[in-house]
Amino acid sequence: MTVPTDKMQTPGMYISAVGHLGLIGWLLLGWGMQSQPLPMQVMDVSVMSGEEFEQMMAARTPTPGDAPPTAPVQPQIEQTPPPPAVETPPEPAPVPLPVETPVSEAPPPPAPEMPPADVTDAAPAAPAPPEMPAPAPDLPPSDDPTQAPANRIASTPTAPPPPDAQISDIAREAVVPDETATAEVAVPEQQATAPEQTATEIVIADERPRGAVETSIRPIARPARPAPPAPEQETATAEPTPDPAPTPAPVPDTSDAVADALAAAVASSAAPAVQAGPPMTGSERDSFRIAVNSCWNVDPGSVAARVIVEVGFTLNRDGTLDGEPRLLSSDGDQSATSTAFEAARRAILRCQRGGYQLPADKYDQWREVVITFDPSGMRLR
Amino acid sequence: MMKRILTLLIALMFAGPAFAQGGPLRLTITDGVIEPITFAVPSFEAETPQAGQLASELTRLVAQNLSGTGLFREVPASAFISQVGSFAQPVAFADWRAVNAQALVIGAVSMTGDQVNVKFRLFDVFSGQELGGGLQFAGTTAGWRRMGHKVSDAVYSRITGEGGYFDSRVVFVAESGPKDNRLKRLAVMDYDGANVQFLTDSSSIVLAPRFSPRGDQVLYTSFESGFPRINLLDVADVARRQIATAPGEMSFSPRFSRDGRQVIYSLSNGATTDIYRTDLDTGQHVRLTATPSIDTAPSLSPDGSQIVFESDRSGSQQLYIMSSTGGDARRISFGEGRYSTPVWSPRGDLVAFTKQNAGRFHIGVMRTDGSEERLLTSSFLDEAPTWSPNGRVIMFTRETQGADGASALYSVDISGRNLRAVPIQSAASDASWGPLQP
Repeated sequence: MTVPTDKMQTPGMYISAVGHLGLIGWLLLGWGMQSQPLPMQVMDVSVMSGEEFEQMMAARTPTPGDAPPTAPVQPQIEQTPPPPAVETPPEPAPVPLPVETPVSEAPPPPAPEMPPADVTDAAPAAPAPPEMPAPAPDLPPSDDPTQAPANRIASTPTAPPPPDAQISDIAREAVVPDETATAEVAVPEQQATAPEQTATEIVIADERPRGAVETSIRPIARPARPAPPAPEQETATAEPTPDPAPTPAPVPDTSDAVADALAAAVASSAAPAVQAGPPMTGSERDSFRIAVNSCWNVDPGSVAARVIVEVGFTLNRDGTLDGEPRLLSSDGDQSATSTAFEAARRAILRCQRGGYQLPADKYDQWREVVITFDPSGMRLR
Repeated sequence: MMKRILTLLIALMFAGPAFAQGGPLRLTITDGVIEPITFAVPSFEAETPQAGQLASELTRLVAQNLSGTGLFREVPASAFISQVGSFAQPVAFADWRAVNAQALVIGAVSMTGDQVNVKFRLFDVFSGQELGGGLQFAGTTAGWRRMGHKVSDAVYSRITGEGGYFDSRVVFVAESGPKDNRLKRLAVMDYDGANVQFLTDSSSIVLAPRFSPRGDQVLYTSFESGFPRINLLDVADVARRQIATAPGEMSFSPRFSRDGRQVIYSLSNGATTDIYRTDLDTGQHVRLTATPSIDTAPSLSPDGSQIVFESDRSGSQQLYIMSSTGGDARRISFGEGRYSTPVWSPRGDLVAFTKQNAGRFHIGVMRTDGSEERLLTSSFLDEAPTWSPNGRVIMFTRETQGADGASALYSVDISGRNLRAVPIQSAASDASWGPLQP
């Protein structure tokens, strides 16, 4: 909303305001009732400085600019259309951006805002209801940071304002770079994403997954944004333009550092999180421990009884051993260590019998096991 | 500032769960079980027709040796599901797992004339792997027991990671006659009481024999001259001679140094008894203690740098450690009662001793700094401990009460388990366990 300077000065703005109000009213009254999602374009735009944007892009997008950020207003527009053509595919760009391209490519419906990749997974027309429970999407961790923001904003649909040249200038700087980047990157993916109509709902679906993590940060900056894209309107209406904005938008407003930390955190936690649901319970761990206990034969008179060894091994899904136990560490000399390790190895091998009884749904948590065999409590006293 | 704080918060928020969930499942096990390792020894294959009897006897000997340690328990042949056909045939591990045999020993014996060849293989049943390579021993029919002991030692050491002690001999005092007129002779036997051979006749009293580090000589105290004197006896030809000790009334309680070139012993002069060292080659004597007390029963540490001995310098018999060159001694025994006959373990970590307290005798061990004292036995009279070559078992003398009481040799694991009488025909005392034979 903070679009600078000349408010109401131009007829364009006037029209825009009226249009917005009308749209909002219409949304309030009619939107909820509608069974069919209208084909609308959602544009997320945020204002940021060219510097910020460049920084961001430098960090994220592998392919920097074909188009210099500031100047080429029109070229962008032109460029955008091309994406539909198959040509673009050659460029293997980062996953995140592809979002919009799909639209342009296939049919007229410009709708699909969000991440194409996800779309594929989610059933096309399926219900997009914004539900909080977030099953982790299959997206690669890296995607999240970038796209997530866009989705948030997108939720508020905005009608494209009437075309006005002037405003466009202001906005361009920010927008332009995005487009270029987006366009190139996006193209390849689109094809896969195919489903055209689904777009609206799919978007929501995508939001879900990230929602859990990002929600807290997002909300503040985004909601207000919708209007800015004015400049390109015409083009935008036509198709792809809207997209570019979303990606960059969120980041600049919030702090980069925060975003980065979040991204890093999500990335690091994403991998393990995918593994399995709830952590193993104490009793599950205990029963496993007891199972091995009962086969760990300690000879208290042996020098090995003074050695603590750490043994690692891998389990199959059925609880049987996959390969041999490995000695990871020891605090004793070589011969004592080898004896202690043998005892530990025998315990693990012998007690597996038909396979250790472990919760199958948490396989990822017990696939790799490290057991420390500590006989210090059993030494002769 | 806010950015930083926010960044930190977010990082923390995610870092915790990330660490908790990532990586392998980690457990610590502190309570194992203490139980014998089960093993199966199917009868060794007789590769030549006449080896049948010997193969069966060897199999029994190996099984007895292992079971006798208390660390192993044999799975009886009646439980076997499969029999081992030939020595080279692959092993059906599943069948042995089914009878819960953790280790499997298979062997073969061939015999030509009186030459015997024994070979064996050892398997870890649950991992389905062979432990070490196959081994074979050649010998004569007369020495078949040694071959059985060799096989047992190899099996024992591959499973426990420690040296064995089966192929070793023990020198001891064989006793006969009534308590008030006991006849004593030096004798040697296998560790298990078999093959007893006498080294001296019973014409004079002998005491406290000690094997040399290589097992080829024996030091002992003889009363041939009326006074106790240290003698050296060659085991092979039973030749013996008196050792020229430092001048004194009585010399006794001798022990070899680790290289077998020197003897440390006690020498008594009047009211005091001190510890000396004599070089067997040069005849040089060195006095190691000089106190107005009785210092005796010296025993060298495995590295030869220290001596543990008993002394009554504090008023009662206690254990002390000093440098092997003499000098100040530090007391290591502080419990109630009297401590005597200390013996340094071949492993170097423990000292075995006899303890007399409250009218009973005990064999015990403590660490060389005097800590972690543990009493392994208790009886009317237990004394004179000696270590097995691997430092795992202690053999000692136990004497029963009463006029017809007799002494016998017993062995006990240093864990205090597996107390056993050594099966010898005659009464016996004062054992000294020799080294593992080559």
